[in-house]
Amino acid sequence: MTVPSGPASAEVPAVRCRSLGVSFGTVQALHDISLDLAAGRIHALVGQNGAGKTTLANVLGGLQAPDNGTVCIAGNQIPSGDVRAAKSAGLAMVHQHFSLPPSFTVAEALELTAARPESHSVYRRTELYRRWQNDVAEVGGTNVLATRIRDLPVETRQSLEIVRALASEARILLLDEPTALLTPAATDTLFERLRGLRDDGVTILIVLHKLREVAAVADTVSVLRDGKLVLGPSEISGVSQGQLSDAIVGPAPDTDRAIAVEAATDVEQQLLLELVRVSSRESAFEPGLASIDLTVEAREIVGIAGVEGNGQRSLVSVIAGLSAVTEGSVLLGGEEVTRAPPARRRLRGLRLVPFDRNSEGISRSAPLWLNQSALRLIGRRGQFPLISLRQYKRQASEAMDLWRVRYNTVAQPAESLSGGNVQRLVLSRELASGLEVLVAAQPTRGLDFSATNFVRSSLRGLRDAGAGVLLVSSDLDELFELSDRLLVMYGGGIVARFNAPFDRQAVGDAMTGALR
Amino acid sequence: MTGGLQRAASTVLLVVVSFLLTALILWVSGYRVGTVLSGIIQGSITATGAATSTIRWTIPLLLIGLGVVIGFRAGFFNIGGQGQFYVGACSALVVSLGWREGPVPLVIMCGMIAAILAGMAWSLLPGYLRVQFGTDEVLTTLMMSFIGALVLQYLTAGPLRNPSGTGQTAASERIPEAFRITDSSGVSVTALLLVGGVAVLVWLLLERTRFGLTMTLVGRNPTMARWQGIDVRRVGLGTFALSGALSGLAGAVELYGPGARLVTGFSPEVGFTAVVVALVGMLSVWGTVVAAVFFGGLQSAILFLPIVTDLPPPALVLLHGMVAFLVTIKFRAVRRRRGGLAAKPVAG
Repeated sequence: MTVPSGPASAEVPAVRCRSLGVSFGTVQALHDISLDLAAGRIHALVGQNGAGKTTLANVLGGLQAPDNGTVCIAGNQIPSGDVRAAKSAGLAMVHQHFSLPPSFTVAEALELTAARPESHSVYRRTELYRRWQNDVAEVGGTNVLATRIRDLPVETRQSLEIVRALASEARILLLDEPTALLTPAATDTLFERLRGLRDDGVTILIVLHKLREVAAVADTVSVLRDGKLVLGPSEISGVSQGQLSDAIVGPAPDTDRAIAVEAATDVEQQLLLELVRVSSRESAFEPGLASIDLTVEAREIVGIAGVEGNGQRSLVSVIAGLSAVTEGSVLLGGEEVTRAPPARRRLRGLRLVPFDRNSEGISRSAPLWLNQSALRLIGRRGQFPLISLRQYKRQASEAMDLWRVRYNTVAQPAESLSGGNVQRLVLSRELASGLEVLVAAQPTRGLDFSATNFVRSSLRGLRDAGAGVLLVSSDLDELFELSDRLLVMYGGGIVARFNAPFDRQAVGDAMTGALR
Repeated sequence: MTGGLQRAASTVLLVVVSFLLTALILWVSGYRVGTVLSGIIQGSITATGAATSTIRWTIPLLLIGLGVVIGFRAGFFNIGGQGQFYVGACSALVVSLGWREGPVPLVIMCGMIAAILAGMAWSLLPGYLRVQFGTDEVLTTLMMSFIGALVLQYLTAGPLRNPSGTGQTAASERIPEAFRITDSSGVSVTALLLVGGVAVLVWLLLERTRFGLTMTLVGRNPTMARWQGIDVRRVGLGTFALSGALSGLAGAVELYGPGARLVTGFSPEVGFTAVVVALVGMLSVWGTVVAAVFFGGLQSAILFLPIVTDLPPPALVLLHGMVAFLVTIKFRAVRRRRGGLAAKPVAG
């Protein structure tokens, strides 16, 4: 690496924190963290979900006031939880979720968040474009300035977040899981960019999930576990992948065995889900489906790969019956359900793990037992109208016990569960009975290692029990590990079909529409 | 269960605070608070006929309040109970005057069914607008309420006006005495059995049927309900229909009970007070029963007070407003607290 230039000398760490502690209620999110980050280098921060990575980044960026401890940026102590002070000391954050307003044009958004807006408050558009043309040179040039943020592809939005951060002439950049929504190719581009910035003397702290990415970009690595700094910052060359993985997971071996799942498939039926030239209207966020052909048979997991926003949501909601089909037909177990309401499909053996478990998968304020019983409420015409709550609650607690949901009482609201437990709750409901085909959308997103493994082994168990699974995921490793066949979505259509073993590069090319 | 007790205690506290604030305002305005308080107690409990009067007002408050509870369960705020109550009463009146010679039980039954259907229709129109177009039901049910009041005014001043009436306000002809289920006190075993039966049925519906549970899920998270295969639109329409039905039924009970005829703008507050009743009752069936008795007592006291003090009756309506105000704040605060907890970042 080149010799760092700029104000930060090699002697004074770019970021230094001492004895940081943060707790949320009874949860100790950070515990006595002391950390020095040398200037002009790329530092990776890794750890499981809930380890405190985002909290630490927020404390360093001044967004979260620590209960105790101090933060120094380039040698100056920052008042606790002061965003402006952190900014003016040269630190900029790129958040996990995009922060630029979707309805703004790129130029407007950049002006809005600029560190030193011009003194007058009325602008002319051409003037805005002129002011920002140099900054966007790397992300598509001046053409992009008039585009609305929401119309940009994910990776451009990601790049813009960095442009925004750098527009304030930041010398220290905090990136919180910037690769979560990127394709492998876009991730490589991002890393290339970060290396360039480092060589210009910018100090970078990047929160990452995947060890492969850590190895690809970081100079040093630090590991958080349960709010404590358990490793680092260590030179990346001095730590093996095995050591890192051990530090992340911790010493206690997780003995979460898979659950024996049952499927209601009769052996004769092979073709469980079939889409024949299905098209649908585009939604606010996504292209509609463009003449999609797809089958899911018994005993197979069909993976759907693709950069997010290429029609995966449309696909799942068309299968679920939540959005209308304009052309083509949908069949479940050989029965045409193209115009059938969602309830009919549920009764026909369709089970769903929705994209966003907290808003689509559960009702946060409703009690656990009611969340667990939701599927028992539909399609029971002609039965005795009164029900036994005790029976509902008992069934719910049995199912949740089987899936090892950690809870105190069945009456507690679902929002009191952690992410992994919420997903267990969803699975305990969807996989309980009558399942023929499961559509699982991002089933492991945001889950930690053990919960991820648990969900994956459940999906495998489901397949082995004779069910069909359609797995929509943006995690290529997961798709490669689980899928028997893999389809790639791009612009609302299926552009490539692969059989195992999969070629990472070919899949990546299909996802990005790249031509070689 | 302790959580439930705690919430009940805090609601009672709110009512007490409302009393104190109202007392403060009255005291500052130069009224003797002691006299007013004793007047309230006399007018709701101890004076001759006061307890009966309390129950008489509890009946419509409870029926309409339960309608509000049903709406809330599925996430809809039906505040148009007043109009649904009026059109219900009007429909029962039309049936009863149009079929004076009919067999008594049958006419009453038909009148009640007509009232229920009219209340449903008055509620279903805003309900349809809500589930189909997302129109804010608070506005539309309120507007429909004004229309309902004008329908009543038109009927009592027009086609159904009692030609021999001499009063200043327009009133309809009286229904035959045989159709009445209570005397002019508004309380009878029949009426109490009817209202009690309705309360039990509503409780069973909300707490012990699949439809009730479905309503709860829709009210708490319609997105999740849709993913679960629940027909959210149908549940919404059903909820609006049931909610309006109870207000319509309240109108019929009013006519066959204490009213016997309809007067322009009768019981002007009852539909709106019922919303406060449901909120103070913490949107539970039995809580609403208790709250309805309490507000029934207040209503009775409002009518009695002019006898013992020079306090104008609207002064006590101030108390309703105060309770509604504080209950709404409490509601908001609880939501905010919940949301705040949920929004707090715990993940790393």
